[in-house]
Amino acid sequence: MHIPDGFLSTPIWVSMWVIALLIIGYAVRRTNEKLGERHVPMMGVLAAFIFAVQMLNMPVAGGTSGHMLGGVLSAIFLGPFAATIVMSTVFAVQAIFFQDGGITALGANIINMGLIGTILGYYIYQGIRKVVGGEKGILIGAGVAGWTSLMLGAISCALMLGTSGVAPLGVALPAMAGIHMFIGVIEAGLTVVIVGMVLKSRPDLMELQKI
Amino acid sequence: MKHDFLDKYAELDSAIHSLDPRTKIVSFFCFIFLVISTQPTKFLNFVLYFLLIFGVILASKVPLRFVFKRSLVIIPFVLLVAIFIPFLKEGEVAGSYNFASLHLTVTYDGLTILFNVLSKSWLSVLSMLALASTTKFPELLKGFEKLGLPRVMVMIISFMYRYVFVLGDELMRMKCARDARSFGGNSKWHIKTIGNIIGMLFIRTYERGERIYIAMVSRGFSGKIKILDDLHVKKLDLCFMVFFLTILTIIWTVL
Repeated sequence: MHIPDGFLSTPIWVSMWVIALLIIGYAVRRTNEKLGERHVPMMGVLAAFIFAVQMLNMPVAGGTSGHMLGGVLSAIFLGPFAATIVMSTVFAVQAIFFQDGGITALGANIINMGLIGTILGYYIYQGIRKVVGGEKGILIGAGVAGWTSLMLGAISCALMLGTSGVAPLGVALPAMAGIHMFIGVIEAGLTVVIVGMVLKSRPDLMELQKI
Repeated sequence: MKHDFLDKYAELDSAIHSLDPRTKIVSFFCFIFLVISTQPTKFLNFVLYFLLIFGVILASKVPLRFVFKRSLVIIPFVLLVAIFIPFLKEGEVAGSYNFASLHLTVTYDGLTILFNVLSKSWLSVLSMLALASTTKFPELLKGFEKLGLPRVMVMIISFMYRYVFVLGDELMRMKCARDARSFGGNSKWHIKTIGNIIGMLFIRTYERGERIYIAMVSRGFSGKIKILDDLHVKKLDLCFMVFFLTILTIIWTVL
């Protein structure tokens, strides 16, 4: 889903950059208010964590391999805005050093793979957690949020490509949604296992201040 | 983990390597902006853009094999677009094929779109490669800071850079331990073990983050980081920038 340069039309990539910058700017202010001087080392180390996690490839059907995005995961532990900073940092570094996604498309990529998970996914998780309640609620919320945010990210990616005139929307949308229905299951499965593992061994880390 | 996995070949010695990071950032970002705003039908322009960036890569002495291999990251997206070409029905037909009961039509419009995204994304990747593989990570970060990237982001990224190696190694050790104790397994089992590894890594990372903060506070950290300012714009920088941007504008406007 890392969109390279040249795929998005100018109005789309510019507006995505503007939206992403506004949200990131707000997130930086929020974390700075709440964490103060502590937030810098913590955000940095956690960005390194997501970076390392994305290096861990695991086999997906058909001989290909994939890695987890971790947007919902980081939002569950840190809250939506701290997670936003962490994810945006990782995507920016990947775009420049691994050419994973373009520079002009970076705003769109941050939104599709990061912000949809960290913000939308987080509120989906919180909603389900409150309705179901207990440990079960946390796990179900994590799974549903993980799957949904990956799907929404894929759909938004297809919409951007479609409106940029690169791919016909009628084909791109079902294709992207279809593939990511399965990839989403892996993301959701990993999110559930990780949250479950932390719940079991360090439940206090689930109670961190959410930002 | 090797220390150069992020900025491989940034240690080489060439004229391009010795340029100020700001020069390279401005030049190569301008390159991307002009390339993606070029009309898709101007084939000659794309050839000239390629020659320009290829010349820079040659001058930087970065192995071409590495550059071309790395530049293949765009392939999945290009394939994604290529698949749709038969479905773009409008426009003049370039050729049609029959596979069993499937009737596929390739139109010139579709081919133009494919050429457009292929050339633009590939050229952009080449220019980012030229930037990342000729500039050391800390230097590049300093360049971005001087160009106005907010201090907070710079500090977060420099922490990330320091600890990505520590955490990467930690992860590889856990992965190695898993591989030594187990073999095979289905994908459900894979998800479970990888999930547990990542969970463990999160716990260790969080604890490490707190230790780092305490260690910094005990050494007088007050929320501000002072960085030495040792970037200098040299004559070579001016020459390169004038040369590169002039050629770029000539290709973009005149042709």
